[in-house]
Amino acid sequence: MILRTPAPKRARPIEPAPIIESPPVGSDHRQLAIYEDPSSAGPARREPSQQSEHMLCTYQCRQMVKADFLDALSNAEKQVQDYQSKLAELNDNFGKADEERKTFREKLSYVEQELAAAKGREQALHDQLLKEVNDSHERLKKELELSAKLQAKLENEQNLRKKAESTAAAAEDKAKELEAKLGHISKSIEKEKKRFNNELAQLNRDSKFSITKITVDLEKMEFRAKSSEQEVELLRKQQEDLQSKFSECLHQKSELEKRLTSLSFEDDSPKESDILVKHLQEELRNYESEVREARKLKSAHDSIELMKEKLLEEKSRRERVELQLPKLQEYELKINKLEDELSAWKLMIQDIPGVSCCDDVPLRISALQKEVIDNLKKLGEVNAHLKQMQVVLDKTQLDKQKTETEAALAKEKADRLEAEVKRMNLMLSAVSEERNMLKIAIEDFKSKNEQAGGHASSSALQVLKFHSSSFIFLLTLFLLFVIYYLAPFLMITYDFLLVHIQELESSLLKREPYIKELEGDLFAQKDINTRQQDEIKSLHDRLNSEARKVKSLERESDRLRSEIFLLESKLGHGDFSAANTKVLRMVNTLAVGNDAKQTIEALQSELQRTKEKLQALEEYKSQSGNSGKLVDSYMSGKVAQLKEQIATLEKREERYKTVFADRISVFRRACCELFGYKIVMDERQRPNGIPVTRFTLQSIYAMNDDEKLEFEYESGNTNIVENGYTSTSEISQQVDIFVRKMNSIPAFTANLTVESFNRRTLS
Amino acid sequence: MASKTAAKDIITLRGSAAIVSEFFGYAANSILYNRAVYPEESFARVKKYGLPMLLTKDEGVKSFISNLNAQLSEWLEAGKLQRVVLVIMSMNTGEVLERWNFSIETDNEVVEKGVSREKSDKEIMREIQAIMRQIASSITYLPCLDEQCVFDVLAYTDTDVAVPFTWMESSDAKLIANPQMVKLHSFDTKIHKVNTLVSYKNDEEELDDEE
Repeated sequence: MILRTPAPKRARPIEPAPIIESPPVGSDHRQLAIYEDPSSAGPARREPSQQSEHMLCTYQCRQMVKADFLDALSNAEKQVQDYQSKLAELNDNFGKADEERKTFREKLSYVEQELAAAKGREQALHDQLLKEVNDSHERLKKELELSAKLQAKLENEQNLRKKAESTAAAAEDKAKELEAKLGHISKSIEKEKKRFNNELAQLNRDSKFSITKITVDLEKMEFRAKSSEQEVELLRKQQEDLQSKFSECLHQKSELEKRLTSLSFEDDSPKESDILVKHLQEELRNYESEVREARKLKSAHDSIELMKEKLLEEKSRRERVELQLPKLQEYELKINKLEDELSAWKLMIQDIPGVSCCDDVPLRISALQKEVIDNLKKLGEVNAHLKQMQVVLDKTQLDKQKTETEAALAKEKADRLEAEVKRMNLMLSAVSEERNMLKIAIEDFKSKNEQAGGHASSSALQVLKFHSSSFIFLLTLFLLFVIYYLAPFLMITYDFLLVHIQELESSLLKREPYIKELEGDLFAQKDINTRQQDEIKSLHDRLNSEARKVKSLERESDRLRSEIFLLESKLGHGDFSAANTKVLRMVNTLAVGNDAKQTIEALQSELQRTKEKLQALEEYKSQSGNSGKLVDSYMSGKVAQLKEQIATLEKREERYKTVFADRISVFRRACCELFGYKIVMDERQRPNGIPVTRFTLQSIYAMNDDEKLEFEYESGNTNIVENGYTSTSEISQQVDIFVRKMNSIPAFTANLTVESFNRRTLS
Repeated sequence: MASKTAAKDIITLRGSAAIVSEFFGYAANSILYNRAVYPEESFARVKKYGLPMLLTKDEGVKSFISNLNAQLSEWLEAGKLQRVVLVIMSMNTGEVLERWNFSIETDNEVVEKGVSREKSDKEIMREIQAIMRQIASSITYLPCLDEQCVFDVLAYTDTDVAVPFTWMESSDAKLIANPQMVKLHSFDTKIHKVNTLVSYKNDEEELDDEE
């Protein structure tokens, strides 16, 4: 509250004192007009002659003046009444004005309070605005810094992503190329495999052909060998003959020599003996020479045969080589092609970085796949970073929007303050207008008062004037004070707000291109996000498919669990597989013991009984000795008879066996000759313990021993058993027709005998 | 026996076989007591697995079970034992009333290579204790055996096992038709895992037949 110093009181205008020329009519306080007798007054003033006239005149004048005065009095009284009424009115007006003043004062105080509150609010708003502006400044700075960092990060990550994409693309291209190469290589490998397989098959065929040839040659050679062996044997025989002859000759020679020596010792040999000896010697020599020649011939023959064999072998080899020569050329061409391909592969492998041999290719591919996976992981991480950046950008946008809204709110507040200031101005103008109106009214009142010449109300009017003027003065002072003190402040805050708003707008304008760039980046990111969302959708689809697979796997697992439950129930039931498990049971010594005990007890009881019987027998024996002997002899006779009977029965059994065997053999021979089949009967037991009789039939017209028919006889039913002979096409047809369709084994066997008979006779 | 070191509990094949065969012995005694195959007075109380266990005083049963345990231990060390079944039958009719099935899963690597495993003895004892408690509480759901019963033991082994002198191969696995089955806890020594299951004759069918 501003202390209103009262305006200095205006010095009242020095007005001349009212000249009271006549005493007021009707007033008690009459002032004696000191009439100065002119005579008494002064000697030289008036003339004495004129004193009577003057006295008359003065009386008339006095009367006239009195009348005039009375008139004037009455007028004045009327005026006074009028002025009094006016005073009253003015008092009323003054009261009203006072009330209005009071109301104005109240209003003033209210306005002052409001002004103070508004000031406080303005200060608070100003502080808030300052804080908000500072905060917004700081936020803007931080956001600018963040955006700069984010931009830098964006750029880095974009670069990284580009690099990763490029590397991933390069890796994918490499992988594709490698896959294509691998495909080519695999195809070529498959082709080569097929070729090799075909060649192998051809070689196998050739080898088989050569083997057959060789076998044929072998057979030929064997035949030749046999023939040569025969010849050798003949030659050996000849040789032996010759050797025997030679030995004979030698023996003869030795004998002859002996004779010769004996003869030479005796006397001179006759010429004939010499000649004989000579002849014999010549014959010996001839025989020796013949033997040598025969040996030579034999050796030559052997060598010739060896040479022939060698020739044949060489011929065969030549033929084989000639046959395989074109193949050699083909093989050489193939080898050249394979070598070229190998070199091409080696070059390809050399082109592939990090691969030195074929075994490294899959490793390299796996390494490349790992690289691709890593790059995809990095891409995912980059995308995650990008998303984070997007989130931050969204946050900055939201903050920007918040600051914009706050700036708008500040603007609105400033507008409101402006409106309030305007209102205040309007109020001021209204108050000034009222003041002017009052001034005018006062001036009118003044003028009227002056015109009326009423002095009696002038003082009241003056008082009124003074009060109203003072009120007006105070009002104006107050308003001026308000205007002078508050308006600048308001203007200051308004200016400050305007400046800040302008600063904010300028900063916003500065940031707009940056924001546009960010928006552009955001759009790009949005495109990337749409692509990633598409990828995510595809991944979702894959996820759904995987989820379906998981569900199917869960169903399988449920099924497996149910199977496990069933198996467990079977286990619990005690089922087992005889192939893997056997059930062992401990000999229950307790039961055995009990059984043993029982048997022991039974045996003991029997023992006691037999003992008692024996005792009784012995007593009986002792009592009757002879009768005991007789009993013994009787018993022994009976035993002998029984033994004889057993012996005769055994002999009879053997006789019956031999007779039956003879009969059986006769019967079997008769059946064979009558029906054409040798029948062999076997008693067998099936795994379930049921005895079964098996009959094996072999036709007498069978070409070999494998042509056998087998039948099983069981409780009146005869069934054919399948074997290798019956599974042949001819026999199986007959079995289907005669046995299975017509249910007649005799017809089958008869048909078979006829067919085999026809076959035998025709062959 | 399982060798205990200061910090680790190492289980060998022999130790594990001993644990399992010992468990079977105590389990058999517990079943015979709880199912009243032998009278209560023929059992003596001992402390085992942290529980009061009942062992038979009958010399015949005792020797039977000890011989059985020795053979089971041998088969367990060879890794040839698949299952042990304790069968309770009616003495009069020979009908199988209950089958206590102890199936054994053996770690073949231990049998072949002779390696050892690590497991706390306390943990194994705790698992066995749980099974013993379940055997004791089985009388709540198993049907009453009103008639005199006898027991027998079957061993499911591999086919290449030589049949000992006191054992014989049995073609009859003493199965129960349409049994009710209750699966009990299992214990694992890391070398042998023993799963317990009791199957018993469905008492409700008899009641339905009677009705």
